[in-house]
Amino acid sequence: MKKVLSILSLLLLSIVDFATFAQTQRFPRPEFESGYTQPVTSMPAPRAGIFALVDVLLLIAALSLITWFIHKKRSRTGVVITSLFSLVYFGFLREGCVCSVGSVQNVVLALFNPGYHIPLSALAFFVIPLVYTLFFGRTFCAGVCPLGAVQDVFLLRPVSLKKWLQKVLGLIPWIYLGLAVLYAATGTDFIICRYDPFVGIFRFNATFFMFAIGAAFLLISVFIARPYCRFLCPYGVILNLVSRVSKNHLSITPASCIQCKLCENSCPIDAINKPVEVKQMEDKRSATQRFILLAMIIPALMIIGGWVVSNFHENLAMVNSKVRLANELLHFDADTMKESLEIEGFRTSGKTKEELYLESADILKQFYYGSWILGGFIGLVFGLSLAGLTRYRYREDYEADKGECVSCARCLKYCPVEKA
Amino acid sequence: MRNKLILWFSVLLLVVLIAFMAKDLFTSNDPTDKNVYEYDLNSLREVDSKLVSHKESKQIKINADEIHAIATDQNDQIYVGTDKNVIVLDAEGALIRSLKLRQPASCLTVMDNGNIVVGMSTRVDIRKPDGSLRNSFVVKGERTYITSIAVQDENIFIADAGQKIIHHFDMDGNKIKEIGGENQEEGIKGFVIPSPFFDLLIGRQGELWAVNPGRHAFEAYNFEGQQISNWERTSMSVEGFSGCCNPSNIAMLSDGSFVTAEKGLERIKIHLPSGDFKSVVAAPELFEEGTIGIDLAVDSNDRILVLDPVKGLIRIFEAK
Repeated sequence: MKKVLSILSLLLLSIVDFATFAQTQRFPRPEFESGYTQPVTSMPAPRAGIFALVDVLLLIAALSLITWFIHKKRSRTGVVITSLFSLVYFGFLREGCVCSVGSVQNVVLALFNPGYHIPLSALAFFVIPLVYTLFFGRTFCAGVCPLGAVQDVFLLRPVSLKKWLQKVLGLIPWIYLGLAVLYAATGTDFIICRYDPFVGIFRFNATFFMFAIGAAFLLISVFIARPYCRFLCPYGVILNLVSRVSKNHLSITPASCIQCKLCENSCPIDAINKPVEVKQMEDKRSATQRFILLAMIIPALMIIGGWVVSNFHENLAMVNSKVRLANELLHFDADTMKESLEIEGFRTSGKTKEELYLESADILKQFYYGSWILGGFIGLVFGLSLAGLTRYRYREDYEADKGECVSCARCLKYCPVEKA
Repeated sequence: MRNKLILWFSVLLLVVLIAFMAKDLFTSNDPTDKNVYEYDLNSLREVDSKLVSHKESKQIKINADEIHAIATDQNDQIYVGTDKNVIVLDAEGALIRSLKLRQPASCLTVMDNGNIVVGMSTRVDIRKPDGSLRNSFVVKGERTYITSIAVQDENIFIADAGQKIIHHFDMDGNKIKEIGGENQEEGIKGFVIPSPFFDLLIGRQGELWAVNPGRHAFEAYNFEGQQISNWERTSMSVEGFSGCCNPSNIAMLSDGSFVTAEKGLERIKIHLPSGDFKSVVAAPELFEEGTIGIDLAVDSNDRILVLDPVKGLIRIFEAK
């Protein structure tokens, strides 16, 4: 019933928001009978200072509220209410921008490009959820992030994934984060925003391609909980790391675990770790051997990763518009080929080919070093994932996996233990 | 079993999605792809034959290097303003006389008493029916460019596309007032005129009609300069006007309907006094692509005279 209400309110909101959107045209849009579709504005209008501050204050308020619901009230209903608010405000009303997920790129660009001044609101949206995560776990993911909230609304029939499959798919966000950092650092593109599957839905202006991607993600969300958060979100990767050292992470039981196993299958993202018996403990000798082996494997993986990815640095650089244009110009034959819009635009810019080639060569160099680092990073992630699989962790109780758990609070109501 | 199937389907879909996104990121579009931003008007040039109400009944060839303006008088004589003279023809196109001009004509109109008022860049000449000069005056202003003249009794209204204003003069060349300038108090938004096409005519009740081409609108004013009526039709379909500034020229039929000429999509249409589309007089296929400056006149039999400056013709259209 709650699900149905959530979906109904989402649809109602869509209609209301669409009406507002439709009223913003001064002249009626011309109807192009040739099938031409007008390009849509991809960014919402910049926010005035005071409203940016309101956004930040609302972010803090929503984070505080949801943290209180999870940690003090242990209320799933409270999480759902906050989720709906975030979906409405940060999703549909703020049109998904500024969002913490995309703010990673603003931060990276600000670090690598001294000419770029990061908006304070973007910085706040990056830092504040990290601070909350450091103290309370991923309460931001629980219901403040509109991307997570929209997927949660559609989760109707959760099915469990095999552990190995989760691990394999779980590598994708790391690669995505690496690519996003590389492209932001080189000033190429903000790919997280470009491929945000839900932002086009929030803004009612998605291209068919992005709408199809968004719709497919929502369809998957019906069965696999939060597929974007778990298997794509680059900010989730950072929150995952920070959450592992969080001071007061959500605990399934409010007092002592009685091992009743009621919560065992309650987590839709399989983020509950089962107790591990003492007899499974690894002996010291074998642990030392494993450590030495990993100490050799991980650097090797990093070097191999760096070498492999650096061999593809030219392909990676092709995403950069200048490199792509230089490449196109290099292979352009006016006698046999039709001039593209980009070449035509370049011709009229007054810039020389040599200038473009020099700029392009500079960018390629950045991509060469960047792809070594990216490859090394991917190798490190593979290595550490391998290490994580082989590492023994002693556990007496049913516990939330501090990294993976998004603090959605579903498991809390399964625990029969009363608060002490 | 069913859950397993759903699970693997979902995982497969997820992997496919990510693969699609990666493909989109790393592969560029084929440079030979069609230009998606191309302003393709070809399909709009086609007009349903059921909408066409007139047929072309006559063509009159004009011997001049450039032809710019057309008007008719009460006897259905035809006046054509060229780059050098005003040519006067009878209703069948036979030459009556030719009046030499000091500058190329940009517009002209004929008064009830037979006087010919010719607009030429910044100057207005009033010629008697025999061709002698009755008066001549200059419209002041650095950006003045006269594109249309309408006359009612002793009032001359001059459309100035350069200054985006209508000048109200008397026959002696004394300026009375300006009409149509932006006036927020009276709710007049002003004329939007991106190109030198700004036409006027006097309506059946003696009101002054002006095209506001940048807004695809018609605006009616009384002689005090107050706006008394307006209508606007923006549309890429045949029911309205499109582009930066249309219609470029207008005329009026005896029932008060407007005849409109457009550029970009070269076509002649009739709009009812309410502004609603009525019919097509001439479809774009009848004109050379890129024809601009199609002037219009209507005679006492509601024949529509279309000045085709590219073909150098007066083309007469009559109702089917």
